[in-house]
Amino acid sequence: MRLRDLPAIVYLVTAFTFVFLPVVVLVQFSFQDGILPVPPFKGFSTRWYERVLENRRLMEALWNSVLVGLLSSLTATVLGFLAAYGLARGRPRWSSVVQYMLMAPITVSYLIIGMGLLITFNAIGLGKSLLAVGIGHVVINLPLAFAILYSQMGEHQANIERAAHDLGASDLQTLLLVTVPMLWPALLAAFFIAFTLSWDEFVIAFLLSRFDVTLPVVIWSMLRSGLSPELNAAGTLVFGISFLLALAVGLMLRRGRKND
Amino acid sequence: MIERGSSVPLVELIGLRKVYGRTVAVDKVDLVIGAGEFVVLLGPSGSGKTTILSMIGGFVTPTEGRVRIGGADVTALPPARRPTATVFQDYALFPHLSVAANIGFGLAMHRVPKAVRARRVEEMLRLVGLEGFGRRSIHELSGGQRQRVALARAIAVEPAVLLLDEPLGALDLALRRQMQEELVRIQKRLGTGFVHVTHDQEEAMSIADTIVVMNQGRIEDSGPPARVYLRPASLFSATFMGESNILAGRVAEQGRERVRVETALGLLEVAGRAAPGDKVHLSIRPEQLRLGPAGPEDIPLGRARVTEMSFQGTHWRCRLRAESGDVPLLLRAPVDVAIAEGEPVELHLRPMDLVLLRD
Repeated sequence: MRLRDLPAIVYLVTAFTFVFLPVVVLVQFSFQDGILPVPPFKGFSTRWYERVLENRRLMEALWNSVLVGLLSSLTATVLGFLAAYGLARGRPRWSSVVQYMLMAPITVSYLIIGMGLLITFNAIGLGKSLLAVGIGHVVINLPLAFAILYSQMGEHQANIERAAHDLGASDLQTLLLVTVPMLWPALLAAFFIAFTLSWDEFVIAFLLSRFDVTLPVVIWSMLRSGLSPELNAAGTLVFGISFLLALAVGLMLRRGRKND
Repeated sequence: MIERGSSVPLVELIGLRKVYGRTVAVDKVDLVIGAGEFVVLLGPSGSGKTTILSMIGGFVTPTEGRVRIGGADVTALPPARRPTATVFQDYALFPHLSVAANIGFGLAMHRVPKAVRARRVEEMLRLVGLEGFGRRSIHELSGGQRQRVALARAIAVEPAVLLLDEPLGALDLALRRQMQEELVRIQKRLGTGFVHVTHDQEEAMSIADTIVVMNQGRIEDSGPPARVYLRPASLFSATFMGESNILAGRVAEQGRERVRVETALGLLEVAGRAAPGDKVHLSIRPEQLRLGPAGPEDIPLGRARVTEMSFQGTHWRCRLRAESGDVPLLLRAPVDVAIAEGEPVELHLRPMDLVLLRD
């Protein structure tokens, strides 16, 4: 290490501290042997994790989150795939306009999307529910799934599909035996990104749910009655799962690139 | 196996035309390919050669004209129902399948039983020199090996015509030479008609039975490599197939099957037909310009001065300037030639080496 590297290293450490300190503190005090998740750290204990696992409200919300996440991500991925496939292979007129409109929801804040959905669902008589939350999550995740999949459907992939046709495969055989398996890493990446975002999402889930709620909404309502290491433990679980999913996405995309 | 000259041609293109918007990619192309023939479509990019290949394969629908394969009209058939198989420029291998599964894909689509398929895959691997590679993943292969897999995958379905779209473009020179030889070997062994697209005239000459020279959507010339090189039919063909000395001139006299053309090098007599007054071009290959005084049968071209010489290994490449008309000329001299830069030389030419070109 040379002296002139010092500012860079100090900067790096500071930046990472700024980003990760809150998470580190959250995780650390989830193991607090005491009733307040604030310094000083009184000792190591896993009793708050036991409390989380025994908390029926939290466990139900966890299950709801998993359900909403799985179904909304699956829907977003399938719809995103179909949109990308249609636009990349069919090359319809106004393709760029359609693409722009598919991507547009990315520019709208979750709050606005949530409000819009709330008003719409009210009008058509769909009450606040996990279904409504799931639909909201499809709305925010469809553009991402579309963008990821569309980027993997270039001229090279089109040629690979042509080769399948050339060798006697029907359209359906080409889709099932070549296109989908070939795009498998991208499909998984789209699914996991969608799941991660749905898993963490609060605003839409808060606005569109009432009795059955997702994990972030429960954690928020528990926060209102004060800090507790139990909440730190719940937060740590949420973070841990998000982290693992993000890691999975990274690996998928790496495999996808290698496949080119 | 090779049914040369059988009554029904393998491929017939009749008045084939393809228009994209305002661009005419292929313009009224007629071409007949015989069974067992190795045809190379040669031309610069944008000459329509790949479009023709795509129309034979069924990937592009012609605007006008018919495509017949083995006498049957396939113009309206999709690629899957044509007796063709394509080797793509980027190989287009299935990245998620093993080498063996790639090669067996077409057979599986044609419902060939598994055991037969496995035998056939082994046979193909042997043919392209990839024995023992069946279980490898595509990612583990080098460019040249991927090329071979693409070839094996296409010939595994026993197509009547194999279409090759610049298949050697991505390979380095040594590998390209080697693959050219292998393509010829495999083609002769299978007796399948090959239609190969390239912009590399050396590649075309080394592999083709017939070269079809394309330019701006039209066929400029077609014939055996030696004929197309030595007696090109058009100005484009002469300049695209290697280096050539092109002399512009005007027809002075017309005889029976011969014309005299007034050029900067004097009045030259050449075989061919043209009306007096026509503007024409004459072509002389650099290796056909000869040093020394003309013999009784030869055409004398007068004296010239050597302006530049560069050593090419197999020959000297010399730039000359003819004394009459100050015409720049290109000459290939043997390595042991006794000339030097700045020196005057005398030039002549055999009558058979002078070619009349239509524009």
